[in-house]
Amino acid sequence: MASVANRPNMASAANSASDEELVARFPGHPVDHDSAAHYRGRLTRQLLVHRCAACGIWHHPPKPVCPACWSNAVEAREVSGNGTVHLVVFLHQGPPAAGVDYSTPYPVVTVELDEQPGLRFTSTVVGSANDTIVIGCRVVLDWIERDSTPLPVFRLVDPESQEAAFGSDTGVKP
Amino acid sequence: MISGRNPMKDMVAIAAAATTGFVPHNSGRSQASFVAEASIRVLRDCGLTVSDVDGICGSSPSAATVQKMLGIPDVTWFANPSIPFVNHLAAAVSAVHSGLCDTVLVYHGAYRLPWNTASSLRDPFRRGSSMGLGVGGPGPETIAGAVGYTAWASRYMHEHRVPKEHFGYVAINDRTNAAANPASAMREPITMNDYLAARMIRWPLCLLDMDVPVDGADAFVVTTAERARDLPHPPVLVHAAALGMIDLNEEDQAPGLDRNGQHVTVEALKAKSDFWIDDIDVYFPYDGFTIITLNWFENAGFCGPGEAGAFIEQHWDTASNRILINGRIPVNPHGGSLSEGATQASGHVREAVHQLQGLAGPRQVPDARRALVTAGGFFFNAQGVMLRRE
Repeated sequence: MASVANRPNMASAANSASDEELVARFPGHPVDHDSAAHYRGRLTRQLLVHRCAACGIWHHPPKPVCPACWSNAVEAREVSGNGTVHLVVFLHQGPPAAGVDYSTPYPVVTVELDEQPGLRFTSTVVGSANDTIVIGCRVVLDWIERDSTPLPVFRLVDPESQEAAFGSDTGVKP
Repeated sequence: MISGRNPMKDMVAIAAAATTGFVPHNSGRSQASFVAEASIRVLRDCGLTVSDVDGICGSSPSAATVQKMLGIPDVTWFANPSIPFVNHLAAAVSAVHSGLCDTVLVYHGAYRLPWNTASSLRDPFRRGSSMGLGVGGPGPETIAGAVGYTAWASRYMHEHRVPKEHFGYVAINDRTNAAANPASAMREPITMNDYLAARMIRWPLCLLDMDVPVDGADAFVVTTAERARDLPHPPVLVHAAALGMIDLNEEDQAPGLDRNGQHVTVEALKAKSDFWIDDIDVYFPYDGFTIITLNWFENAGFCGPGEAGAFIEQHWDTASNRILINGRIPVNPHGGSLSEGATQASGHVREAVHQLQGLAGPRQVPDARRALVTAGGFFFNAQGVMLRRE
C-alpha cells in the first residue's frame, strides 16, 4: 500500500521550493499536501494535473485518492494544455489582480483538456479580442507572470482570432 | 442510489416562522442582533419560552452563540449546517423525528458580506464575516463561487440559443411580487427595458440577475406534528426533503446542466412524496441567480431543457405582470432572493409556511395547501423540501 510519503509530490516537476516557500509564492491559493505538486509545477511553467497510475483516469482539482478506483497512486503529470473552451465569462468587475484592468471586461474560461472528456481547467485567455472568445474555440496553453509567479493561461489557436486580437482592442461583449 | 424510504413524512411540523424584514444597505447592526430579533419574535408568536427549546440550528452566528445570547438554559441537540436553508430545516426535522430533541429554534441571518458588496468590505465590523463557503484562489481566474452561475448561464444560452429576456422574466416576476411584501428590500417594479439596461457585472449576467445582499433574519420553530397542534398557528407538515449532490460538484468540473444536484434532488423528492408539481398551490424555485430558476423549472418537470423561458411566457399573467402557472400558482410570491433579499432560501421557506398557515396577507394564495421549495444551485447546494398544511 502506498504511503503518504511516496504519493503525488514525486511528480516530474523537479522544483525544489520548500513547503514554506511554496505557500508564500501562492498566497490565498489552496496549497496543501494534495495540491503542492500542481503548484510546484507552475513555478517551472509545467501544467500538472493529477492522473491515477493504476487506472489512468485524470482528475482536477487535486484529490488525495483516485475518485474512480480509490488508488493512492495518483501522480501529478504534465498535460499538453490543448483543449476546447467549454464555459466563458467576461468579468466587468472582480478581485484586484496585478495587470488586470476590468475597464475591458476580463475573460475567464473553463477549458476542456484534450487528455480526457470532462477534465477541465479554468484560467483566462490572452492575446485575443473578447468578441472572438466563444464556447467551442480551440486553445493552447501559455504562461504569463503575475507578481513574479508564473500563471497558466490560454491562447486561441484560430488564426482569425489572432488577427482580430491585433486589430481592435475594443472587444466588449454585449 | 435514490431511496423512497421516508419515515419522517408528515411527522414533524414547522409551528411558526418570523422575519425581521430585509434592508439592502449596511444596517449598522450585527448579524447576531437580527437573529436575536427574529428568534424572539417567533418564540413569542408561538407562546413558547426558552425552557421549551431543546434544540438550536443555524449557520451564523453559531448555535452556541445563539444559546448564550438568548439565555436558552439546556439543549440536547444543535447544529451549524451550511447554506442554503433546506439544510438547516432538514437537520432540525430529522433531529426531532429521531428524538434527539423535541423543539428546535431554527434561524438564518442574511448579512451583507465583504465578498459580495464593496460597501461591506469598507465596514471594519464586517470584514471578518463569512458565509462559511470556500471560494477559489485570490485572482479572477476561477469560476468557483458566484462566478460559476454566470459561466453556466453562458453555456445555457449557447446550448439552447435563448435570448437574455428569458432570464429577465425571473427578475421581473420577483420584483412584481415583492411590491406586496413589506419585508422586501426592493419593491419598485421593473420593466424588461430596465432589465436589459442594467449594469453588466459578469457577462452574460447583469445586476438584476443577481440576488440583493441584505441585512435581516428569519427564524422558525420546528417540533413534532403532535406538539405543533397545541400551538397557536396551523402546523405546516414537512412532507419530504432532499439535499441532492453528485460527485463532480466543483463549478468547472460539473458534467452539465443535464446532470447535477438539481436532478438528484428532484428524483429523491418524487420518490419520497405523495404529490408533485400538479398538486402544489405555490412554488419556490431558488433565484440567487436567474439561471438557477430557469433550470429548476426545467428539472422539476414543468417543461423540457431550454424551455423555461417559453414556459414562463405561456404562463405569464399580463394583468398582474408576473408568473401564474396555469393561471393559479404564483412563483416566489414574497419576491425571492432577487427582490426580498439574498436569504439563501430562508425567505422562501418562511413565505411557504405563511402561505400554508393563511398568514401571507395581501399575497395569500386562496386555500393554499401544498408548497414546493427547490433551493440552491447546481453544484454542492441543490436542495428541496415539500410542505403541506394538515
